[in-house]
Amino acid sequence: MKYVVFIGSEGLPVPEALEVMQRELPAWIEEMDGRGVRLLGRELDLPETAVTVRVRDGETLVTDGPFAETKEFVAGLDIFECADLDEAIEAAAKSPVARYHPMEIRPFAAGLRLGEAASEFAREDDSAGTPYLLTMWMGGTPAAPLDDEAVMREGEAWRRDLEARDLQVLGGALRGPDTATTIRVRDGQTLISDGPVIKTTDFIAGIDVVRCADRQQAIELAAAHPIARHHAIEVRPFYSE
Amino acid sequence: MTTPAVQHAVDAAFREEWGRIVATLIRRTGDWDLAEECAQEAFAEALRRWPADGIPQRPGAWLTTVAGHRAIDWLRRGARGAELLEQAGREVLPPPGADEEAMAELSGQSGAIEDDRLRLIFTCCHPALPLEGRVALTLRSLAGLSTAEIAHAFLVPEATMAKRLTRTKAKIAAAGIPYRVPPAHLLPERTAGVLAVLYLMFNEGHSASSGTELIRASLCEEAIRLGRALHQLMPDEPEVRGVLALMLLHHSRRHARVGGDGQLITLEEQDRSRWDAAEIQEGLALLESALRQRQAGPYQLQAAIAACHARAATAADTDWPQIAGLYALLERQMPSPVVRLNRAVAVAMAGDIEAALALVDELSGDPRLARYYLLEATRADLLRRRGDQAAAAAAYQRALPLAPSQAERRYLLSRLQETSTGDGRDDTLP
Repeated sequence: MKYVVFIGSEGLPVPEALEVMQRELPAWIEEMDGRGVRLLGRELDLPETAVTVRVRDGETLVTDGPFAETKEFVAGLDIFECADLDEAIEAAAKSPVARYHPMEIRPFAAGLRLGEAASEFAREDDSAGTPYLLTMWMGGTPAAPLDDEAVMREGEAWRRDLEARDLQVLGGALRGPDTATTIRVRDGQTLISDGPVIKTTDFIAGIDVVRCADRQQAIELAAAHPIARHHAIEVRPFYSE
Repeated sequence: MTTPAVQHAVDAAFREEWGRIVATLIRRTGDWDLAEECAQEAFAEALRRWPADGIPQRPGAWLTTVAGHRAIDWLRRGARGAELLEQAGREVLPPPGADEEAMAELSGQSGAIEDDRLRLIFTCCHPALPLEGRVALTLRSLAGLSTAEIAHAFLVPEATMAKRLTRTKAKIAAAGIPYRVPPAHLLPERTAGVLAVLYLMFNEGHSASSGTELIRASLCEEAIRLGRALHQLMPDEPEVRGVLALMLLHHSRRHARVGGDGQLITLEEQDRSRWDAAEIQEGLALLESALRQRQAGPYQLQAAIAACHARAATAADTDWPQIAGLYALLERQMPSPVVRLNRAVAVAMAGDIEAALALVDELSGDPRLARYYLLEATRADLLRRRGDQAAAAAAYQRALPLAPSQAERRYLLSRLQETSTGDGRDDTLP
C-alpha cells in the first residue's frame, strides 16, 4: 500500500532539534530507501509562502497564506510503500523527525504512479521547474454542488493534461481523514493516535506535485482543477537550497 | 420447533464459539461484515436444524462449517446471488460435517483457531483505531454483543454505535491495519493496549448508574470472559493474569457495593459476607501465580492492592502499610496525581497523617487536579483528623463546588458542619 506521510509543525524547529534531525536524517533515508519503504520525500517552504486558490463564478480568487487557519501546518511529506500500517508506523517512528514533529500517515485512494519526473523531484533536481505542492481541501459546505464522480473524471483529465505538458510530478486522491493515523515519539515511546495532524472540519482530500516556471503558473494550474470551484486548493513551493 | 434443550445448546455455543467463528472467517475472507453476517446465519441455521437433526457432537465445528460455506456462497455469487439464495430457501447448504478439512482443523489441535481469536483481539485493539471504536468492535466481533446491546451499554443511540462500528472497520481495511498477532518486538506495548481496552470495558460496567445497571453490569462479565480467553491464549503473560485478577477482585464486591436505594456503599462500610468468595479465591490465585514471575506491572500492583482489601476480614484488619507501599510502587510505574493521592490516603490510614498531608501538599499546584474535588476533600479529612478544624472546614468549602454529584455534596456538607461546630474529632477517614 502507498501512504503519504505529512510532517506536522508549529513553527521553525529549535536549533537543537534541527541539528539532531540534520545529523540523523541521512541514515534514516538511506535505510528506508534501501528497504523500499520510502519512495521519496521533500521539505516544504514555510507556510507564509503559501497561497490559497478558489474559483467562484468563473473568477480566480487568490488569498495569501495556507488554507487551514490552525497553529499546525504541513512542513513536508514523504511517500511510503508498505505492507501494512504497522510497517508505515514503524518506519515513520524511526525517523528523527518523529521526535520533534507529529507525523500523519494516510493511505492513497488509488494506485500512485511515479515516473521520471518523480525521480527527478526525489533527487531534488528541479531543473525542469520549481516544484509546488497543491493540497486539495474538501469538507465543510462546498461552494457548488459536488458530484464526486464528475470531479474525479475532471481531475483525471486535468492530470493527463499536465502530464502531456510535462508539468505533473505525482499526485493522487487520499483516503478520507477517518483513515488517518498520527504518530509522535516521546522518550523513545511511539504514541499512536487516530486522526489527522490538522484537526479542522475541512480535510485534505488529495495532493498533487507540479513543476512550474513560477508561482503564477502554479496558481493557474490549481485554478483549472475542479476542486478549486467547489472548495479550495493550497499552493506552496517545496524548499530548495 | 426449537426446544429448550436446543435453545440452551445454541446459547452456550454462541457464548463459546462466536468469537472463534468470526475470527476464523475474517482470516479466510478478509471481510469483517461478511464474517459477522455468516456467523449470525450459522446460529440461525442451528436453531432451525438442530431440533430435527439433533445437537451435533461438536457444535463449534458444525457452526464454523456452516458459516464458512455461507461465506463461500456469498463470495461466489455476490450480494445479489446471495439474496436469491435466501429466497430459494438455502437448500444448497452442506450437511453438517461435510467439510472434512474444516472439521479436522476444528477438532483436535485448535492452535490455528486460538491464533485467530488472538489475531482478532489485537486487531480490534489496534492503537491506530479510535478508542471508543476499539471497545465497541471487541464487544461486537469477539464477544458477540449486538450493536443495540453495545449502544445501550454506552448510553448512545443505536445509529451512533452502528456508525462507530462501521467507521472502525472501515479504517482497518482502508488504512491497512494488519490482521495478526503483533511480532515479538511490538507485543509488550500492544498487549498493554489490549489490556487497557478490557479494563476500560470493565470499568464502564463497574461504574454503572442505577437505571441501566443490569445491562451495563454485563460489560463487567464480558470483560472478565474476554480476560479469561486472553489468559488462555497468553498463559505466560503476568499482566494478563494481573488484569483478570484485578477485574475478579473488584467484581467480587458487586453485591455489597450498592445499597437498596442504589447508593454506592464505601469499601469500609460494605458487608463483607456478601463478597463473592469464589471470585476472590480465583483472583488471589491468579495474582499469586503472576507475582511469582517477578515482573509486577501496573495491573498486578492494582490487583495486589485490591487483594489487601479482599483478604481483610473487617475494614479494621486492612493492611494499610502494605497498600501504601504498593501505591508507591505503582506510582513509579504509572506516575499520576490520582495514584499519588490514593497513596496519601493509604499512608494516612497506616497512621502517618503528617506524611500524608505532605504528599497532598505536593499535589496542590498540579493543574490536572485543579477541578478534582477529592484533592481538597482528602486534605480536609486529613486536617480534621489532625484536629485542625478551621483549616479542615476551609478545605471542605473548597471541595464543595467541585463535587460531581448530590451524594458527594451531602457528605461534604455534613463534614463541613461538624468541623465548623467542632465535633467529629475522633472519626476515622471515610
